[in-house]
Amino acid sequence: MSALGGGSSGGDGINPTASVIAIVILLVAVGIVYVMYPAALFPLIGVIIGGALIAFGVHFVPVGGAPAAMGQAPGIATGVAMLAAGAGLAGLFGGAWAAHYGLWVALGAGAIGGALLMAITCLMVNVVYVYAMGIPAASGKVEKDPITGDTFPEYKSSGTEGHGLPFISYVGGVIGGLFGGFGGTLIYMEFLAVYEAGLPTVLMATPEEVVPIAVGLAGIFAVGLFLVNAVITAYNITGTIEGPHDPKFKRWPRAVIGAACASAVCGMFAILLVVV
Amino acid sequence: MSVKIEASEGGMPHDKMLGIGLIGALLCLYLTYLNNLMGTDFFAFFGGLAAVAALWWGTDSIKKLCSYGIGTGVPSAGMIALGSGVIAMVFATKLAHISPLLVPIGCVIIAAIIGVVLGFVSDNVLNMNIPVMLRMLTELTVVGSLVMLGFTAMVSGTFTFEGLITGSSSFMGVEMISYGPSVVGGCVLATIFILGGIAIQHPFNACLGPDESWDRTQMCATECGFLSMIGIAVMSLAFLSLAAVIVSLIIAVLGWAWSFNELIKLSKRDAYDWLDAEPIREVGGDS
Repeated sequence: MSALGGGSSGGDGINPTASVIAIVILLVAVGIVYVMYPAALFPLIGVIIGGALIAFGVHFVPVGGAPAAMGQAPGIATGVAMLAAGAGLAGLFGGAWAAHYGLWVALGAGAIGGALLMAITCLMVNVVYVYAMGIPAASGKVEKDPITGDTFPEYKSSGTEGHGLPFISYVGGVIGGLFGGFGGTLIYMEFLAVYEAGLPTVLMATPEEVVPIAVGLAGIFAVGLFLVNAVITAYNITGTIEGPHDPKFKRWPRAVIGAACASAVCGMFAILLVVV
Repeated sequence: MSVKIEASEGGMPHDKMLGIGLIGALLCLYLTYLNNLMGTDFFAFFGGLAAVAALWWGTDSIKKLCSYGIGTGVPSAGMIALGSGVIAMVFATKLAHISPLLVPIGCVIIAAIIGVVLGFVSDNVLNMNIPVMLRMLTELTVVGSLVMLGFTAMVSGTFTFEGLITGSSSFMGVEMISYGPSVVGGCVLATIFILGGIAIQHPFNACLGPDESWDRTQMCATECGFLSMIGIAVMSLAFLSLAAVIVSLIIAVLGWAWSFNELIKLSKRDAYDWLDAEPIREVGGDS
């Protein structure tokens, strides 16, 4: 929701020239890392995949914005930046806690952490909508819920785009949390691996001594990259989306390209920190 | 193509604000370096002033960007600014190996490179087609990195990578140098991140609307900057001498008190009525 109520922008199509340029920028960033610090090539690719997963995952999350808070649009009544940060950070904390159990356990813990936060948020949002605001869940974008088959038009108030949080949006939110938590934790784990391997030689210290710095840097960079990717996705969906059934969901390819490009450039600087 | 809505008329031209904010922030950051030259830590507060200067400029950049309907609300612009700014800022501190004087200017250049990519992605790849998107996202990334660098310099008294990762703790009366109790190792960066984030998101978000006026929004930005500076001054107790912390705290509190007072004056000027905790009257009502 635009705070100033301006017309929403962004068409559905992909801009081929810009997408090619973005992929070239991505490849250049990967190439620079390969030349300067070959050991970090695969971690950088991991960071790019993590960024793309975050961008893809945010498309599932039912973001309602300010209209949802007034019961005029379906979704969770806040913006992408807050919602994605919540799910991503919950996932990141879960993953970071499990980091010493190995990569895949950490990634699983991160995904479950993000999904759990979204599940609780969606549940409580619907409790507030139904029992406090007194509005039923109805989507304005589709006639029927694709999963349960519930029909919406008879419950939708006229003059609104729908309201509440239909079951498909709930499922979308949990899937989005899974992807977001997984992607965020992947970024964290890759940065952590780079710093734990690279910082001891740079600082001439033992691997045990650099752990606080490696964790601190990987954590803050993972948070930063998560927010960058979430906001890029927010721009792609122009602020609000109902979930996987929303027509805006079809825009995901360009957000994935954009987020991969942004993650590559940010990840390149974060990794080259070890070299400079 | 989005519809442009002018947020407010009048005020200083944006280019002039860019110049004042950028040069002011860089100047204050270089003044922080006096700490290293003179072997003291009393000049740490200049870092906070650098952040305030950057925030003052960044608020106008956010206003220019959000006057086009970007659809995501104002805070998202602040989050992308800080999220990318922190990467540029930590990378720039590493340039202190070559020369510490490279850090502030390197921070601006690296942030601008990241910002151009983010702006290009948002504007062209995502088909936003907002004319100022590229420029404003670049500016915001620079602002985000300068705010981070300024507050980091204030909390630790230095902006070199070595200074940020080493801290001293006393164990049984013996001073020990280690990586744990430092700005990076103690994750103080995360708190700085969100204090800067609040300060850059809030001013325009709070003041926007049909009666938004330039000087009130900018005063709100100054007030938010000084408010975050108070928090940073308290946090710097862990890294600086008590006397330096008190100097920082006094400057932050004085700056905040002045700007808050001015903000209230401007709010009273722009308000329809000032009621001091009475029910709000309707315009044209008979209450």
